[in-house]
Amino acid sequence: MHPSVEAFAIAAGLLALGAALVHRLGFPPLPVYLLTGLLVGERLPTEALEPLPSLGFLLLLFSVGLEFGPDRLQALSGKAIRAGLWDALALPLGVLLGLFLGLDLRGSLLFAGVVYASSSAVIVKLIIDLHRAANPESEVVLGVLVREDLVVALLLAFLGGQGAGFFLSLLLVLAYLLLARYLGPPLVQFMGTLSDELVLLLGASFTTGSALLFHALGASEGVGAFLSGVIAASLGLRERLEHLFGPIRDLGVALFFMVVGASALALLQEPSPLAILGAALGLLLKLPLNLQGGKAAGLGRKRRVYAGLYLVPRGEFNLVLGLLALKQGYPLVAQVALFLVLVSIPLGAVLIRFAPEVYRLLEGPREKPAKLEARR
Amino acid sequence: MKVEEVVLPGVGRKFTIEVQSGDRLVVVVHNSGKRELQYYEKGEDDEPTAALDLTDEEARELGAILAGVLFHPEAVGDTRSKLGAQVFEWIPIPPGSPWVGRRVGELPLPPGAHLLALDRPGAPLIPNPPPEALLEAGDTLVLAGSREAIEAFKRGLGKG
Repeated sequence: MHPSVEAFAIAAGLLALGAALVHRLGFPPLPVYLLTGLLVGERLPTEALEPLPSLGFLLLLFSVGLEFGPDRLQALSGKAIRAGLWDALALPLGVLLGLFLGLDLRGSLLFAGVVYASSSAVIVKLIIDLHRAANPESEVVLGVLVREDLVVALLLAFLGGQGAGFFLSLLLVLAYLLLARYLGPPLVQFMGTLSDELVLLLGASFTTGSALLFHALGASEGVGAFLSGVIAASLGLRERLEHLFGPIRDLGVALFFMVVGASALALLQEPSPLAILGAALGLLLKLPLNLQGGKAAGLGRKRRVYAGLYLVPRGEFNLVLGLLALKQGYPLVAQVALFLVLVSIPLGAVLIRFAPEVYRLLEGPREKPAKLEARR
Repeated sequence: MKVEEVVLPGVGRKFTIEVQSGDRLVVVVHNSGKRELQYYEKGEDDEPTAALDLTDEEARELGAILAGVLFHPEAVGDTRSKLGAQVFEWIPIPPGSPWVGRRVGELPLPPGAHLLALDRPGAPLIPNPPPEALLEAGDTLVLAGSREAIEAFKRGLGKG
């Protein structure tokens, strides 16, 4: 038997064990996948698991494109847009912070992107798992995520290549978007007649093919997968593909996060204090902005705090930006991205899970002085 | 009554219904088919008074009860309601069906079966669809007629 089967069996078993443990506590499993990787990474032949983790990652970005594509912008309410504007202030502030940490302009832009992007994949999963979808803050948070994903996809395309590669990648993005705009509507009818297997295979080859094409041109393969999702959504395949790819993606994503955890081990052994500082500041930077954004969106005090906490987890796009930064010679930004992802997913999951308790802690001591002032 | 609909990307759709009393009902229809309901008392924006999760099937039953349609548990499995010897039936046209892209006029409607409407997701209901209307994947045919005629129609539909 092929040796990869053994690696897969062990990995899947470990992940299942971890997921089962946290499921009893009412926690989402994503952070456990990361921690499992950190714990057993050294002894596990992660290379033998390929291409499942890579595929999981591409499919993750694909489904982000599917659900958070540009057509969602039109469906957004005014409040989500106002909150998104406050949230987007993290970009210029992130650039300033990057310059302060001694990076040049390109490095600072990458750093700003790493700070700015919250993980829609992780947050959506947390919102669904914790039964928060009907809450008022979820609408605002999800709207903010749509804007973030589009801005970061543009940023990635913009920073993806250098010189000729830069123009090529911009052209490619434009070509994909035009394709979605003009080729989409006439193809919708045709896609409806295809069988599920055919759609599954076409979707998989289109996504991986696009990723390869973008990679070959020196652009980010993540953008390729994201744009494939955008195009699939414009072909009216959103629900079908979500349904068809969901289980494969979840399996791949579990393995992907484990591999990320495993590869983070080396970095954690010699942490640079500057990277830790950058990650901590990046994590704190967005909180006041999102509180203010929640206020602009008309949320009450409590829901504002919730919205701020929801946007803590960083994930897929931060890793893409980190990898890009590493390739372009900014190891500091890559380290920051990795720290952010490793810390913010477990931390965010806990904060979101215990958001009511966190709010009570924050508000408890503050309430009394407020009342006194009112009496005066 | 005021109904507000927003898309929750990655989750589904959220409907906020404000009724005459000023109370609000929030319904989230998940992509997975699950429904989440929250009830807010008048003047309360932050904290729901009650919350409820429903499966797809439960939500449909509740919907039928709310709509005043008599519900007959013996018809479990199909969305069907009975009016004496006549039945109503909702028949979906799934993606990949041979009927996708063909005309309404080509449907093998036996005598005694009537096509009342065409329900297309994301579009207003098409009552009394014209024969030249094209069928799309995801459409649902709304039929009425005798049980035999409807069954015969379903068999004919399966054959293409």
